[in-house]
Amino acid sequence: MNVLRWWWSLVLTFALLALLRVFVPLPFANEIMIFSIYTVGCNFLLGRVGFISFGQPAYLAVGAYAAAFYFYYFGTNPYVGILIGVVAGIGVSLAVGPLFVRLRSDYFALVNLALAVIIYYFMQKVLVDITHGDNGLWFLTNLSSTPVLDLTRPDEFFVFALLVGFVVWAFYKYLDDTIYGACCLGSKINEDKLKFLGYNNYSIRLVAFVIANTTTALAGAMYAVYLGFVSPEITSPTRAADPVIVTILGGVGTLYGPIVGAIAYTGMKDVLSKVLGNWELVIGFLLVFIMLAGEKGIWGTLEPLLLKAFRRAPAPGAAGESKVGGR
Amino acid sequence: MLPARAGFRSAKVSSMAGRAEIIRTESVTKRFGGVIAVDQVSYLLQENEVAGIIGSNGAGKTTFFNLLSGYYLPDEGIIRYCGEDVTTMTPQQRVARGMTRTFQLTSTFDNLSVVDNLVLAFFRIHKKANLLQLLLHTCKSQRHEPKVVKALETFNLQDLRDKQVKHLSLGEKRRLEIAMAVIAEPKVLLLDEPLAGLAESEIQGILGVLRMHVGSQTILIVEHKLSHVQGFLQRLTVMHEGRVIADGDPEECLRDPEVRRSYWQIEVPPDASGAILS
Repeated sequence: MNVLRWWWSLVLTFALLALLRVFVPLPFANEIMIFSIYTVGCNFLLGRVGFISFGQPAYLAVGAYAAAFYFYYFGTNPYVGILIGVVAGIGVSLAVGPLFVRLRSDYFALVNLALAVIIYYFMQKVLVDITHGDNGLWFLTNLSSTPVLDLTRPDEFFVFALLVGFVVWAFYKYLDDTIYGACCLGSKINEDKLKFLGYNNYSIRLVAFVIANTTTALAGAMYAVYLGFVSPEITSPTRAADPVIVTILGGVGTLYGPIVGAIAYTGMKDVLSKVLGNWELVIGFLLVFIMLAGEKGIWGTLEPLLLKAFRRAPAPGAAGESKVGGR
Repeated sequence: MLPARAGFRSAKVSSMAGRAEIIRTESVTKRFGGVIAVDQVSYLLQENEVAGIIGSNGAGKTTFFNLLSGYYLPDEGIIRYCGEDVTTMTPQQRVARGMTRTFQLTSTFDNLSVVDNLVLAFFRIHKKANLLQLLLHTCKSQRHEPKVVKALETFNLQDLRDKQVKHLSLGEKRRLEIAMAVIAEPKVLLLDEPLAGLAESEIQGILGVLRMHVGSQTILIVEHKLSHVQGFLQRLTVMHEGRVIADGDPEECLRDPEVRRSYWQIEVPPDASGAILS
């Protein structure tokens, strides 16, 4: 029963996401899946560890370019490309993490933004011979078809993205339940206390940093496979706030906030941009409203109401979400 | 004992002779800019001793406490813990050796439940947990550990076990914080003003739990409300302007003219200390 209870919300969420495919165009559904995976790391860093990062595009680019280099210069298998993107994400996170996680949240935000700018100029100018600068790397025709799920087909890519998303969310849900997850929250709100209980704040933050940015790199590699194209625009400083905006829209620190935020953000972008020239203005006002209204975001507001409704009419396992830290 | 002043060794303190030493500081000094917060303090805390430190505001008692627990590193001097030099050790290293502390301002994890606060306090010490173990164990799997359940009972927190700490009263938080320190079963318990800001009924609750540990636990308390803790303190140290001005039997310390002058800033007849305390 407890196992059922644990999986219930995950299965329901991804069943609803699968249904999304019926009602919205495929490119939109794929964009939502990739954007959600892109944002979940940022949401973890901000909601669990208390680190705001304006440098997530850097790690997105690491995953995307690592996969792109593989497809353009070495191989054709999409799964191998995604794996290389993930490994590159781990590598870069481990390279910069030991320095970055020593900083407090405000400097952490800026140093990550600086990394995004550095990677942007490296890809645009310094490594122009291998990245082709602003023209980017085109490799859609290089990708080979794969058995079972052919990632070169957008409809099968959606199924793959759905499965990857399910695994990623199951992992983050598990992480929330672990003592490590509680330590992350402890580190966010009272690092001195955690230290005097014998825990090492630095190690806890470093692992969180690697986990979050590896997830972001995974999204980058999936993005490369889906589009068959990568340019420096992916790590443009002008898009640095996107994952933070989606996190706040969805609800900081909530498990499903990144998905809800990605749907809201991508939806508004698609709908409003057809009506309004300056659609970002609406997003801006919405963010101001959300933060003034208690910083809960869309899912952060809806979740308690839904739980209350489920508790009134108990469905299988629906009342079981006993969360620490409001996940 | 490294006496601050001669003549403070009472019979009660002398009875500690032969016990293992837990904490020993040798001429420990801490400066903040031009201010000497702790000045050449030498101090000895023995096994199962219940000792207190008092002093007026700015006397250096909390800074001294922070030096003992590793929050600050001293500019001069040596701190030994069970004979081992821990002067430059991190708080985590000291905790691993059996030294836990509470804070003057109640320090808990407000976004976690009461029981998960205890789980965090319990797990690191008792399971000698590394990062991998933190990832492999859920809070839920540890909530029914006997030591966690016992701590909930001892500190009368059963009814609050699933409540988020941010919804607790100050007294309940203090109880939880002391429970988090005690659950680690430390060799020495450092309590920084555990009664500050509490109502009388809450004070009695905490004192009741502390009394249970007298004789079986080494405890060092910094406390303003001396009248409450004096009953079970076996030794009192009085600090003034960063220095120890008296150390020994509580009653003798409080009769000392210099203590009365610096602590209460009044000239009090030697036989009036009891009236002041009450």
